[in-house]
Amino acid sequence: MQNPDAIVIGAGIVGASVALSLTNAGFKVLVIDRGAVSSGTTGAGEGNILVSDKDPGPELTLALRSRDLWFEMQEDVGDAFELEAKGGVVVARNDDGPLMKLSSEQSLHGVTIQKLDHASLHELEPYLDQRYQSGVFYPQDAQCQPMLAAAHVIRAVVRRGGAFISQAKVTKIHVREGAVTGIETSQGSFSAPIIVNATGTWAGELAQMAGSHLPIAPRKGFILVTEPTKKYVFHKVYDSDYVANVASSDADLQTSTVVEGTRAGTILIGASRERVGFDGSMNYEILRRLAAQATSLFPILRDVQLLRAYRGFRPYAPDHLPVIGEDATVKGLWHSAGHEGAGIGLAPGSAALITDAILGREQFMDPSPFSPQRFLSMGIEKVLS
Amino acid sequence: MIIVIGAGPAGLAAAEAASRNGSDIALIDSSPRVGGQYWRNRGTVKGYRSGRADQLFSKISSAKSITHISEATVWSIEKEGDLFRVNYLQGGEESSLTAEKLILATGAYDRSLPFPGWDKPGSMTPGAAQAMLKGSGVLVGKRVVVAGTGPFLLPVATGLAESGAEIVGLYEANSPIRWLLSLHALLLNPGKFAELFYYGNLLKRFKISLKFNRAVSSFADGSATVSHINSHFMVKSQREKIVHTDVVAVGWGFLPDLTLGGIVGCAQRVDSDGTTIFAVDGEQRSSVENVWIAGEATGIGGADLSLIEGEIAGLSASSQSISPSKRFTRIRKEIFANALKRSYPIGDGWQSWPQESTTICRCEEVTMHEIRESVTELGAEDSRTAKLFTRAGMGLCQGRVCSRNVSEIVGGLTHCSVTDGERIASSNRPIASPISLGLLGDGKK
Ligand SMILES: Cc1cc2nc3c(=O)[nH]c(=O)nc-3n(C[C@H](O)[C@H](O)[C@H](O)COP(=O)(O)OP(=O)(O)OC[C@H]3O[C@@H](n4cnc5c(N)ncnc54)[C@H](O)[C@@H]3O)c2cc1C
Ligand SMILES: Cc1cc2nc3c(=O)[nH]c(=O)nc-3n(C[C@H](O)[C@H](O)[C@H](O)COP(=O)(O)OP(=O)(O)OC[C@H]3O[C@@H](n4cnc5c(N)ncnc54)[C@H](O)[C@@H]3O)c2cc1C
Repeated sequence: MQNPDAIVIGAGIVGASVALSLTNAGFKVLVIDRGAVSSGTTGAGEGNILVSDKDPGPELTLALRSRDLWFEMQEDVGDAFELEAKGGVVVARNDDGPLMKLSSEQSLHGVTIQKLDHASLHELEPYLDQRYQSGVFYPQDAQCQPMLAAAHVIRAVVRRGGAFISQAKVTKIHVREGAVTGIETSQGSFSAPIIVNATGTWAGELAQMAGSHLPIAPRKGFILVTEPTKKYVFHKVYDSDYVANVASSDADLQTSTVVEGTRAGTILIGASRERVGFDGSMNYEILRRLAAQATSLFPILRDVQLLRAYRGFRPYAPDHLPVIGEDATVKGLWHSAGHEGAGIGLAPGSAALITDAILGREQFMDPSPFSPQRFLSMGIEKVLS
Repeated sequence: MIIVIGAGPAGLAAAEAASRNGSDIALIDSSPRVGGQYWRNRGTVKGYRSGRADQLFSKISSAKSITHISEATVWSIEKEGDLFRVNYLQGGEESSLTAEKLILATGAYDRSLPFPGWDKPGSMTPGAAQAMLKGSGVLVGKRVVVAGTGPFLLPVATGLAESGAEIVGLYEANSPIRWLLSLHALLLNPGKFAELFYYGNLLKRFKISLKFNRAVSSFADGSATVSHINSHFMVKSQREKIVHTDVVAVGWGFLPDLTLGGIVGCAQRVDSDGTTIFAVDGEQRSSVENVWIAGEATGIGGADLSLIEGEIAGLSASSQSISPSKRFTRIRKEIFANALKRSYPIGDGWQSWPQESTTICRCEEVTMHEIRESVTELGAEDSRTAKLFTRAGMGLCQGRVCSRNVSEIVGGLTHCSVTDGERIASSNRPIASPISLGLLGDGKK
């Protein structure tokens, strides 16, 4: 492609979303990935688009808008994402105080909630352990098939005049007089005045190529997949224990498990909350813990066979917020990365923030909490710790 | 303590050899009887020289330092300091054993290639046909076509015939002329002539004629289409024949079971024929300290090679010396194994056998059409992406059957040969065998 208006590096869901929103705004976009579409973390993600797990604050605002944009994006591109507003149910066994407090606060910020007593909870989830006393239903929680979504979105970009080059590893980002001019890849060089870094876990490396800095690091996450079963789980269900844990800074101890059934009939058990992350290789202790949590929610799952488990690396920043916006030092270099355990859900919202900023249009929220500038004041030691 | 996983020829030989100096050995296998793929069914299927098996069986059962744990399926292996913790399922319960050393002898399973009807009832692998015979003699009296490639088609066909099946066709896809390239291997292993003679006689006795350069190209409702194929496995048009048969037993060589070694982190490599295997040294040591691997998992070569590899692994793991003659025997058998690979290659032409509606992944019911679309429409360029888009390989068998086929189909569609990295990555399965969530969560039934 000759002279694109913008280059998006990364063909995961985040890059695909930015590419589509820029294309729809009239830009000629070139998408570059060192692998195929969805070959990074997007290929390991679970596809939850959640608002229920977010505290009131900038991330919740982004999540709410992003969730609606998911449905718009599917309409725009065609029904191929397996997008479904399945709804989430957060359940409490004993003290539901923290959950009820959180959900009330969430409802003041645009989250639709429905508080559930024992009877209505068990009507929604008939196989849930009877010991769960109450819960909250979040009808906005949704899900999609992220790898398919990224592929269809990239295809739409190409059909609308953009281009996608795969197997092209970016090795250099050219900067002249403080502004980007183009990139060097294993398949030649390309120039454009706007470059969007959507390389997820690898975004730090890319920033470095431009002489800048982003403190994004990988964190391992696990998902368990069972054999196909009868329908035992009707929504995304998870325990509210995490609400009480939020105050705790020991993020690694929080294995709040989301259990849900899929169309294929399998049950997915994943720790999809953004505060949960694990390091180290395949850790059977964590698999045991996830299984124990899933079966304590749904005892009927005890006899269901686990078929596979897989891991992925969530990209995260030290303050657990995504990095969305123009680079702190290099003009024309934009970042949309570091979405940790919520990159699927937050992708189209992040894309809208970037496109609106580039065009100077009004943004749906104040993006400053996500600004790459915030790391400048953190000091390098803190960033690396 | 040494834990040997797998009680086929390699595992049995390893356990027996290691027990010679009194080492403590636990021999774990998922089936009720020892013997592995080939020897397990010895009772009903007579094989050539099965005396070797009997000898080993009796040594194993009389050795005091060997504990045989049968019907135990290893589902994971963890590292605990210097020890390996082997977690296995037995009788619906989970147990574990720890040891300083592991010998993995998990063998291989038959490879299937997709053709229209390969997933229909009546179509099976030769291994499955043999296994079915074992219990009730289900096949007896039925008409069977045996096809595919490799010398093991001979014991399968003659074994089925001995059990009363009518072999209505025995079709080898490759040409015997290929053996001219490997005469040295035959001369180094003269015993193979006797074996050939043995099976030749059996074929004569059961009036089975062996035809070359042919393959079953479709199967439906009791009739198989047998086509002439060229050396690349492309079907030659207009040269086909309909054969009426109840069963088609079709096998395309073997795929090593890499699951457990993969969990432990043993380095893999891609063999000359594209098969992913474990890399081991002259004493069967893997890349992971204190883990030995023997048998088909280090390269397909038949029971004889598995035996000597197992013996060497057992001796090495128990710190006994290995005589030069044993090392030479291994090399001799390896030369023969390489000759097998040269003589029975799988031509890429098989990728033209499936029709658009032919299932490629049986567990998730993914068709050729869906795989093609994932490449042409959605931009999948490697098998991982194609699998994510289509769900191929994500079902019950975890891609054991279709994974390599999907990789090669995607390679064919994208005109890129499958990279070694891709072949190796697709064998990564952290859960070696299904385990119930209840057991996993708290160890209770
Ligand atoms: C187990 C697990 C479960 C998860 N579940 C959920 C969930 O339910 N809901 C949710 O919202 N999120 C979930 N996530 C998080 C989510 O998957 C990620 O936040 C998201 O996929 C990030 O998308 P991305 O496009 O930024 O990154 P990626 O998908 O990783 O894309 C980055 C791309 O950049 C490319 N790239 C990197 N370096 C270069 C280079 N030098 N040159 C060219 N290309 C390059 C890579 O090849 C890659 O394709 C989960 C994550 C894990 C690990
Ligand atoms: C139909 C057929 C005919 C054949 N004919 C011949 C022939 O004529 N001549 C010849 O030389 N070879 C023949 N072979 C090949 C022969 O079977 C193999 O060469 C030989 O069995 C390989 O020995 P092995 O010890 O490596 O593995 P295997 O015999 O495959 O043994 C592996 C063992 O490991 C066990 N195992 C695997 N994973 C686990 C786990 N997770 N937990 C517990 N146990 C596990 C399996 O149950 C199995 O018992 C034939 C094979 C078949 C299928």
